[in-house]
Amino acid sequence: MRNVYLIFRRDFLGYVKAWGFWLSLAAVPLFIIIGAGFGYFAASSSPVRYYAVVEPGNVISEAIDAEFRRSEARALEEFKSLSGPSEGIQADAASAAQAARKFVAVPAPAATIDELTPYLAGEKKVAGPGGEKPLFAALILSPDGKTLEYWSSDVNVSGLRFSAETAMRDLSRRDALVAAGLSSDFLKTADEASVKVAEFRPRETAEQGAEVTTADRAPAIVAVALAYFLWLMVFSIIQYLLMGTIEERSNKIFDTLLTSVKLPELLAGKLLAVFAVTSTMMLSWGLFAGAGAAFGASQSPALMEMIQPFIAAATDPALIIPALISFMLGYVLYGAIFMALGSLCDTIQEAQTLLSPMMILLMLPMFAIFIAFNDPGSPVIEYASWVPLFTPFLLILRMPSDPPLWEILAQMALMAVTTALIVWGATKVYRAGAVHGAGIGDLMGMIKGAAGMKPKGG
Amino acid sequence: MGEAPLVMSGATKRFGGFTAVSNLSFQVPEGQIIGFLGPNGAGKSTSLRMALGVMQPDEGSVSLFGAAPDIRNLRRVGFLPEERGLYKKMTARDTITYFARLKGMSGPDARARANELLEMTGLGAFRASRISKLSKGMAQKVQILSTLAHRPDFLILDEPFSGLDPMNQQTLEDLIRAEHKRGATILFSTHVMEHAERLCDGIVMLARGRKVFDGTLDAAYATLGRGARMAVEHGFDLAAALRPKGFEAQRAPDKGPGDSWRVALPRGLGAQDVLRAALETGAPIVGFQPEEARLRDVFVSLVGEAEAAALDVPVAADVVEAA
Repeated sequence: MRNVYLIFRRDFLGYVKAWGFWLSLAAVPLFIIIGAGFGYFAASSSPVRYYAVVEPGNVISEAIDAEFRRSEARALEEFKSLSGPSEGIQADAASAAQAARKFVAVPAPAATIDELTPYLAGEKKVAGPGGEKPLFAALILSPDGKTLEYWSSDVNVSGLRFSAETAMRDLSRRDALVAAGLSSDFLKTADEASVKVAEFRPRETAEQGAEVTTADRAPAIVAVALAYFLWLMVFSIIQYLLMGTIEERSNKIFDTLLTSVKLPELLAGKLLAVFAVTSTMMLSWGLFAGAGAAFGASQSPALMEMIQPFIAAATDPALIIPALISFMLGYVLYGAIFMALGSLCDTIQEAQTLLSPMMILLMLPMFAIFIAFNDPGSPVIEYASWVPLFTPFLLILRMPSDPPLWEILAQMALMAVTTALIVWGATKVYRAGAVHGAGIGDLMGMIKGAAGMKPKGG
Repeated sequence: MGEAPLVMSGATKRFGGFTAVSNLSFQVPEGQIIGFLGPNGAGKSTSLRMALGVMQPDEGSVSLFGAAPDIRNLRRVGFLPEERGLYKKMTARDTITYFARLKGMSGPDARARANELLEMTGLGAFRASRISKLSKGMAQKVQILSTLAHRPDFLILDEPFSGLDPMNQQTLEDLIRAEHKRGATILFSTHVMEHAERLCDGIVMLARGRKVFDGTLDAAYATLGRGARMAVEHGFDLAAALRPKGFEAQRAPDKGPGDSWRVALPRGLGAQDVLRAALETGAPIVGFQPEEARLRDVFVSLVGEAEAAALDVPVAADVVEAA
């Protein structure tokens, strides 16, 4: 164990002392902060734009305004469903939504496009709630009332045009129905008379209530997150294991090491070191996310309420125990493969040729994770979870669907046996690569003669 | 005399259809410096890797301190591989400390020993320098110090002098003598016979994977017929003049003025006897040089000139025998 520790310690410190580690460590929080900052900046810095509607009355203006109000109401409803019943938050959100409107109607400064063009081109300005500004857009109803012309110098900002299109569609529908003899009041009543679809699920005890809540969806979301986490971890170790092993091979250091430690000790120390490196990275990111969530929860009890079911799901033994076993076996399985492949390569370029097939292999569970996000009980997930190379990821995904216990145990056993076999084979390949100097070209020969493998001659 | 640190008995190693080492038997007695000699590709590195348990012999056996090589008895061994390599981002002190700890030393002891060795070899100022920042010679010194740091009972050095400049070769020779004085048994391979002549108590010679000699230096020299080189004025038949005196002379390649001859010395006679006999015959002598026995000549006499020519190929051009 002492030798395993010494190998682990040297490799771990070697990795964490490198600039690349700290850059990777900082990259994710920085990406989130910068991304969020950009998003906020983009939203808050987006200017308030004036538009004018040229029409005989103000029917279209009102319809567009109503469409904006409907969009804001929908956003508010979505926020309510996430934030819970806190009235204060909802009031804040309602006023924030109102304040965030970026298109403001102003009286039309002229009636024809020729006269309006200087305003649209920025040569003249119109007065509005945000001071004097050029006109962003003008909507001109044709004399026959059948076409609404949308004029703007900026054709890339399309929010106003979409709202106008929706408003015009509603207006046309309403006009047609009124022409058919239906009253406006009747139409209003008909619009509001939609039946709400409430979601329930049968439960073993009545006390739990039947209505579906976030707590019902949390296990599947957590399972997807855990599977993705494992995938990310495996993906991250590739470069560490390949680079580390290639460095040692090119440094001709194996002979010295193998007269001091046993090969299994060497492999174990190296795998543990890379595991610790990636864990440190993931843990740091987790702490960053946790600190963000804690800060959010301190600002909003409703957010705490929202997070609670996910914490409960993540600490549920029925999910976390198979997940931990899958984590360990999956890590050792893929780690051993990459380390063995690295031991056959002299250069990064050689390693690249091996990376492509490994990437394809790793993308398959990623597709399964996407499928599981929408349908955790999909037969694709169920069947693919019997393939030992995919089991570590897919068993986690299956857990929220309560698969039969025998299937869980059988898949774990299959995964354990496969991992043991792969570690055995990887040790052989590693010895051939590290001690006997075998290269990628010898790989097929080694696989063919796995039982009585002979090293490359020379 | 204690147990022999290394005993190889009939060790054979094949790679596919190629036999790298064939039926090799020898032992390294405790407290001696043994030279493992042979040209590149002779099977030296493969033999040493078998001695260390890095490779298993296909036939025969290896005994290290009386047992098959394993991590426990390998702790008593310091090994310097032919293909040098260190972690380039580690410092000199950390490197020595790391390998000493892998051999069982405690952290504080290993660090203290690393400092001591670095100071002793003039590398004290570079203790915190990364290996990548050191010159090649310095890095090689660090690797050698890593081999010695845990005070091994038995040192196995594979081509330790290769790549070192003359000054560092001398430093290494001094280190080997110091380790020997400390009580360590030493086995080192080389294709440069002069190192063995200066350092060894005994030698094992290898050619094409087979042992061609195993014994002391004196025994090696004794395998050579002794003789003397004599140059006489052109046209003088030295063989005819010396034959009545009981000496056999043969023409040799000319290396200076006059005709060169090699005169074989019969058992019990010395170089001065042949000189006296030649003077008595009135031979017009222009040069005389008693032959000095050299290991290279021993090797030539054992395996032939063609095989011995491989001794002159530098290590850098080696075909990696162990691959």
